[in-house]
Order: sequence, then structure tokens, then C-alpha cells
Amino acid sequence: MIQNEIIKKIRSGGQTELGLVYQEYREEFLRWITKEYHCSDEDSKDIYQLTILIFYDNIKQGKLETLVSSVKTYLFGIGKNILKEYIRKEKRYTPINQEKWLKEYLVEDQTQARDEHAFDVAGVALAKLGNPCRRLIEMFYYEKKSMSEISEALQFKNPETAKNQKCKCMARLRKIFEEELSRTQNVVNHV
Amino acid sequence: MYSDESDITLVERYVDAELDDVGMQEVSSRLETDEPFKALVDREQLLIQVIRYQGHHDKLQYLKRMERHLLHNVHRASPSSLRPWHYQVAAAVALIIAIAWLSVPEDPNKLFRAYFKPYPNAFEPGVRSLHEGTQRRQALQAYELGDYETAVGGLQQSYNDHPEPGLLLLLGNANLTLGHVQEAEENFILLIKNYDDLDLQAKWYLSLCYLKNGDLERAKNMLKELGETEISYASKAKELFEKVN
Repeated sequence: MIQNEIIKKIRSGGQTELGLVYQEYREEFLRWITKEYHCSDEDSKDIYQLTILIFYDNIKQGKLETLVSSVKTYLFGIGKNILKEYIRKEKRYTPINQEKWLKEYLVEDQTQARDEHAFDVAGVALAKLGNPCRRLIEMFYYEKKSMSEISEALQFKNPETAKNQKCKCMARLRKIFEEELSRTQNVVNHV
Repeated sequence: MYSDESDITLVERYVDAELDDVGMQEVSSRLETDEPFKALVDREQLLIQVIRYQGHHDKLQYLKRMERHLLHNVHRASPSSLRPWHYQVAAAVALIIAIAWLSVPEDPNKLFRAYFKPYPNAFEPGVRSLHEGTQRRQALQAYELGDYETAVGGLQQSYNDHPEPGLLLLLGNANLTLGHVQEAEENFILLIKNYDDLDLQAKWYLSLCYLKNGDLERAKNMLKELGETEISYASKAKELFEKVN
């Protein structure tokens, strides 16, 4: 019950709880993965951090609602899968690149190749979007907050206003993205 | 890029999973036959991927800061000049202490000293490297440096200005370190009553307040409750409960 309470708290935005989970299982996880897969200290920390991120994401995405085992078993399972999958792809063990790994993790349709350039341009567009728009869409798409929660947190009049604002922010992001894309394409053409 | 207002709305509703079966069918069929429409969907999905990537990236930085903070504490706690024979002597001494510890009744004050470790500033770790002079930062910096007298005033003021559970937890810890048990108790009780975050930590430290005051019954009740959890403090709480009991 308490473990599921942790999940509930993380789902409702508890970064502190996530930090506590990180601290609680860190030592044991690092010891286990170093022994089992002969990773360096730094690599095992990188894998552990990704494991915690996936744990967080699974909760936020609604993939993990209740635990049938313990948090520890769940985390070790994620860590094992990350490494197995990684070794399968790389054919051998090489230090994990967290940024690259995350990008690949986010592409749901693995059959479709990711357009690196468009991805980077979208990143620039997001940075240019600024707050509160960026915060709003991050709360909606990453933290999976409801419009009521967003409305309360960002002090909108009501959830409907928050939703309208979210649509406007996405429209602005699309516009900046298109502008950036054509700007970078023009630069390439001139070169 | 080609765009039509109604198509944009349709795409938005599609990626936000707000479409009914009829809408989903329309999108599925257009994805197969309508290239410009498919491009709109791809763009929307790319933007969402980047938003999620950025979210993960920020969260990863938070974990990395926490890792650095943990390492920093470990390094601060373990002198590097120890030689192998130091370890052997230390192990022997620890064994003697452990035997002595197990053979005598546990004194609440001794237990308090053995178990109380101020909660780390996990909220904005690394403030000592920043030179911003806000009261909050100065208070957190004083806390990290172990200057709890300064930290108490600053944390109290910062909490009054902008109430946050993290500040209250650190304030309670600073008060407890200084021996202001009554104030610390009030801080932790307020934290448990008013916030959902950090209540397990507050309960752990509240049990230590009770222990420090010699109120063993309340300490035991709180430790028992914590011991039944399976997350932070559970094992420590179980162990301490046994000793108090």
C-alpha cells in the first residue's frame, strides 16, 4: 500500500519523492549492476539515472499504476532491460550515452527513422518559446497533468482557459519551428 | 507547411487522444492517403517528442545534481588519508562498540545522537557555489555549511514569505540540531498536517524529537508506523523501534 502511495505521490508531481526513491535504492542497484555487468562506476550511475527516469515516466504515462512487486524489484527489472536491450543493439557492452538513449526511447515507432535535424530545430523552437508557454506544454505533455491541475498551478481562470492557452502555445511553437526550419534550410542552401 | 485550421484541430485532438471512434477512423484513413495531413501529424508528434525529451533532460539534470550532492557528502564524511591498518583498527573498535551497545540498555539520548543526521539540502543542492544574495539562498548555504544558528532565522523568514514544505523540513532539522526540540516538533507537525510531500521524512524526524524529549511512547508509535512502510527510513525506523522497545 505504501509503495503504491509513493507512486501516487510521484504521479501528482512529487519530485522530492523521486529523489528519495533515487537515494533509497542507489547503493544496492549500483552494487548489483556493477557486479552483474561489470560496468564502471560512472556507467552504472548513468544506467541508474535512466532507470529512475523510466520509472518516473511509466508512472506519469499511466503504465505503472499499482505495483505487484516491490519498488526495488521493479527498478532492477528496468535496469536489466535497459542494459540487455542496449547490449543487443550495440552487439557488445559500450558506455551508455544518456542523451542518445533518451532520444531513441522517445521515438515510439522504431521503424521510422528520426530526423536528427528536425529534432534539433524543434529543440531550438522550444527554447525560444519561453515561459509560461513552455511550462504549460511541458506540464501537459511530459508531466501529464490535467487541465484542472495546470489551471490551478499556473493560475488560469478555469481548465477551459488553460486548454485554450495550451492550443495557442502549441500554435506558437509550430510557427517558431517552421520559421527556424526554413531559416536553417536557407543557410544550408546558401552554403 | 500546408495547414488548415480544422486539420490542425483534428491533429491536436488526435495526438491528445480526444477523438471518438469516428474521428479515429477518419485520421487513420487520411494518414494512409493524405501526405500533407500525415506531415502535420508527424510534425505534431515530433514537437511532443521534443517537449518530452526536454522534460526528461531537465529531470536527468536534477538526478545528476543529487548524485553530486550525495558524492560530496560521502567524500566529506570519509577522510582519504586512511591506511589499511586504520580500517582494521576501526573495524575492531566498531565490533567492540557493537558488542557493548548490544549488552547495555539503550539510552534515548544516545539513540538520538546515533540516529539523528540532519536532512541534506536536496532541494537546491550546491548553493554554496552560487553567489546570489537572496535570503533563501543565504539560509540554504548556511544550512549546508552547518551554520544552523544563521540558517534558522533565514529559513523561518523564507518560509513565512513563501511557504514550502522543503524549507519547513530543513528548519525543523536546524532547530533539532540546535536542541530547540519544541520548535522542531512544531515544524514537523505543521509539515505533516499541511503538506503531502515530505511527510515520511517529517515523521522520522518527529520521532527523533520525541526520543530526544524522552517521550518513548510517542516515539515508538511513530517509528512503528514508519517501520511498516517500505520506503525511506523504514529499515532505520524498524531498527530504532527495536532498540527503543
